[in-house]
Amino acid sequence: MPPPLPLLQGTLDLLVLRALAAGPMHGYGIALLVHGRTDGHLAIEDAALYQALHRLDRRGLVEAEWRPSENNRRARYYSLTPDGRRRLREETANWRRYARAVEAVLQGS
Amino acid sequence: MDEPRRRRPFWYLLRRPDAVRTEVDAELRVHLEMRIDELRARGLSRGDARREAIRQFGDLDATREYCWRQDRAKENRMRRTLMIEDLAQDLRICVRGVLRAPVTAVVIVLTVGLGIGATTAVFSAVDAALLRPLPYKDPDRLVRIFTDAPPNRFPFSVADYLALTAEQTQFEQVAAYTSRGMTFTDGASADRVRGREVAGDYFGLLGITPAQGRLLNANDGLPGSARVVVVSEDFWQRRLAGRGDAIGRAVRLDGESYTLAGVLPRGAGPLEQGQDFFVPAQWKPPTRKGPFFITVLARLRAGADRAAAIEELHGINKRLFPIWRASYQDDRATWGLLDLKAHVVGDVRITAGLALAAVGLVWLVACANASNLLVARVASRRRELAVRAALGASRGRVVRLLLAESALLASSAALIGVGLAFAGIELLHDFGAGYFPRTQEVAFDATAVWLLIALTASSVLLFGLVPAAHGAGGAMDESLRSEGRTSTGSAAVRRVRRLLVATQFAIATPLLVVAALLLVSLNQLGRVDLGFDTRNVVTGVVLLPQSQYSDAGRISAFWDELRRRIAAIPGVAGVAFADGRPPNDVNNFNNFDLEDAPTPPGQSQPITPWVAVTPDYFRVLGLPLVEGRLLDERDAQAPNLLAIVVDRAWARRFYPRASAVGRRIRSGGCTTCPWTTVVGVVGEVKYAGLDKPDDGTVYQPMAPPRMSRDLILRTNGDAGAAMAAARQVIRGMDPNLALANVATIDEMVARALERPRSLSLLIASLAIVALTLSAIGIYGVMAYYVQQHTKEIGIRLALGGSRRRVLRLVVGQGMQVVAMGVGVGVVTALALTRLTSSLLFGVSSSDRATFVAVCAVMLAIALAACIVPAARASGLQPAAVLRSE
Repeated sequence: MPPPLPLLQGTLDLLVLRALAAGPMHGYGIALLVHGRTDGHLAIEDAALYQALHRLDRRGLVEAEWRPSENNRRARYYSLTPDGRRRLREETANWRRYARAVEAVLQGS
Repeated sequence: MDEPRRRRPFWYLLRRPDAVRTEVDAELRVHLEMRIDELRARGLSRGDARREAIRQFGDLDATREYCWRQDRAKENRMRRTLMIEDLAQDLRICVRGVLRAPVTAVVIVLTVGLGIGATTAVFSAVDAALLRPLPYKDPDRLVRIFTDAPPNRFPFSVADYLALTAEQTQFEQVAAYTSRGMTFTDGASADRVRGREVAGDYFGLLGITPAQGRLLNANDGLPGSARVVVVSEDFWQRRLAGRGDAIGRAVRLDGESYTLAGVLPRGAGPLEQGQDFFVPAQWKPPTRKGPFFITVLARLRAGADRAAAIEELHGINKRLFPIWRASYQDDRATWGLLDLKAHVVGDVRITAGLALAAVGLVWLVACANASNLLVARVASRRRELAVRAALGASRGRVVRLLLAESALLASSAALIGVGLAFAGIELLHDFGAGYFPRTQEVAFDATAVWLLIALTASSVLLFGLVPAAHGAGGAMDESLRSEGRTSTGSAAVRRVRRLLVATQFAIATPLLVVAALLLVSLNQLGRVDLGFDTRNVVTGVVLLPQSQYSDAGRISAFWDELRRRIAAIPGVAGVAFADGRPPNDVNNFNNFDLEDAPTPPGQSQPITPWVAVTPDYFRVLGLPLVEGRLLDERDAQAPNLLAIVVDRAWARRFYPRASAVGRRIRSGGCTTCPWTTVVGVVGEVKYAGLDKPDDGTVYQPMAPPRMSRDLILRTNGDAGAAMAAARQVIRGMDPNLALANVATIDEMVARALERPRSLSLLIASLAIVALTLSAIGIYGVMAYYVQQHTKEIGIRLALGGSRRRVLRLVVGQGMQVVAMGVGVGVVTALALTRLTSSLLFGVSSSDRATFVAVCAVMLAIALAACIVPAARASGLQPAAVLRSE
């Protein structure tokens, strides 16, 4: 397995929002989910993940609430706000266009 | 009822800043614990798992910092929004609450607004007149110097002034002025204008700089100088058309040509107010000590000792006294000085204090009334407030809500107050000059704004705190459980409200007493007998310019011709000349010595009003001849003053047991003149003012070569038409002559009453406002009492209690409070009215009838206010009341 890729600027917020689309989740859960989905191809530090969560919280895209976790710890659960959901849709569409454009150029050569 | 739209996380406002930190730390700790669990499940040892978890996490400290910053930013923003939302909600609830009881709100806003506005306006006037320094250069060194012969203070004479300027060393500058009327002619019309003759460097002393040209200086007064005049800005605008090239032009005054030297700045100072012109004084060298007509101003040297200055004044006066002993014997009279401000402001302290106290008290009564009404509202809203508290509103929030309501009312009142204060200050500018000194200097300035703010803030506290403390106090849940009508707070509410109402009555009583005393005085003044039939008597002043009428024969001929022509006007029943007019326009007071009761050396001679009249005067006014004979033409022709007529008061004062006719006197301090004989006694007339006692008046024959005469006409019909015809006659004889100060005697009496009338009307209207508010207060309290006791009263009536007893019970409850307030008020009034005794006339400051009448009126009005709710109580249908419970 090749070494994990560094994350492109700005993509982490999108990944976090996407992870929360399914429902409320705590930070650790998001880390596990992102790691699992990418099969470890992307290097996401826990530090960066938490910074992203609090940034999104400040911008009102996610909201947080303390709740008991599955193994009975009190954990901070994040969920999407309506604003967050809208942003997820926009950013997803943007990303797809971006990826297609890059892909088109790469294929053309 | 306002349902909170969503749960407000109040703890956000209360959370300490550390909370953010703890929360982030907890979140990260949980994360690490979960990671450690996972690693241990994969078989790592506890310590290894821990190290690995931290390594995997990355930069823990930086992340923690970053999260703190983000959370804190979010928190601050939320706090701000919450606060604004809370305020907006408070305001919404307030407006709704206020609108629910619009009459209460209107009463509060109007009355408190009146209190704030009137207090601000009156304070501005008092501040301008009494508190602020004079608008001159270094005003605290300015003094007025006067002749001090207790109890009188009178002006200087030419002899005094010359001696003072020659010998004084304590003053930087000395200057003087006298009043002078002149006739201004511009070819088209002739008008009397008012002005001053000034001596010394008058303007330099006061530090006044010209708006145009130059002002007068000491050199302008030297003999042989060209005639120059300085005019007021107003005169320049009105009479000289505000022309820019007016300086250096000729201004015709009293038929002489004066060169316009300069124009004063607008509103120069209180001494210059109302003066049209200023000319240099050119006084003739004195031949005797008097007459005394010069107002002397001086500027003390910087750092000069007042005591030393007074000492010097006494010294100069002592050296001067022997020189003029022949014409002035009063060696107790000396010279004194007082602050120029005291001279300008005069004796208005009591009037000012009274007006300020009255408006301030009305404001207090209005606040007490507002407090009372709001306490009632809070009491009836306790359930609503309890519900709010139960739904999570903190006690502080409830207090804030109630205070916000008071603040809303007070700000509305402040708006009204600003309007009223503005209007009041405008009114003072336009009409205040006749009533109060320095009204031109009154302004809506920073002081007024600060006072307004302070009054508004105090209003909020005065009528907001009691209800707020009340609304938040006590057990809230009890209010919820109780049935609302007989809530637990009602006893306390009643106590507070009774206290407030008693206070209102205690404040209103002295106000009403003072108002009543002033009205009684006014009535007494209006009924003063002037001593003759005042109907159809009209007067005016004619002044001959010195330049054209320098020859005694010509002057005499002019007056004779004038009298002949005016007497021929149809409708004129009689015409006479004098140099004084009733009731308060006497120009001369003179001292004299009686032959058979000479004044001992070193004592002041008696002084009385001294009126020069033509022989027709007594007939024209209709003064009865009591004894002896009247003056005739031969008396007027005599070279010396040989015959005088006195009035009954004079005769009574000096010869209470014998006839005054045939007695001889010497007047004006003269010791060598021939004796003057009293030839007749006539009925007394007021000359020195309606409120002055009859001290006696002396009439002397009018000497023909007099430049100024008061024209006195009695007419058969319309006095105005006759005076208009007289004006035509004068104009026909000499177009340069003006007829000034035209007024009927009745008009002069009315004018003399204007000041006391305005003051008493002002105080009376304020007292009526206070009384009305007190009546509203007691009505409110009793209505509430009845509402609270409906059930009890119903039971009483159901058990056979008489309606009469119920009526008596309720009225008795109310009147007890009122009687307490009025009682305190009467005691206060007894102590305070004494201070106003100088404003009263013909009534004592503790006049029993007035006090009794005021109490009766107050009690009657309070009784009426109590009877309405009492009647409602006694008219209750017991069955209906008990069913409704």
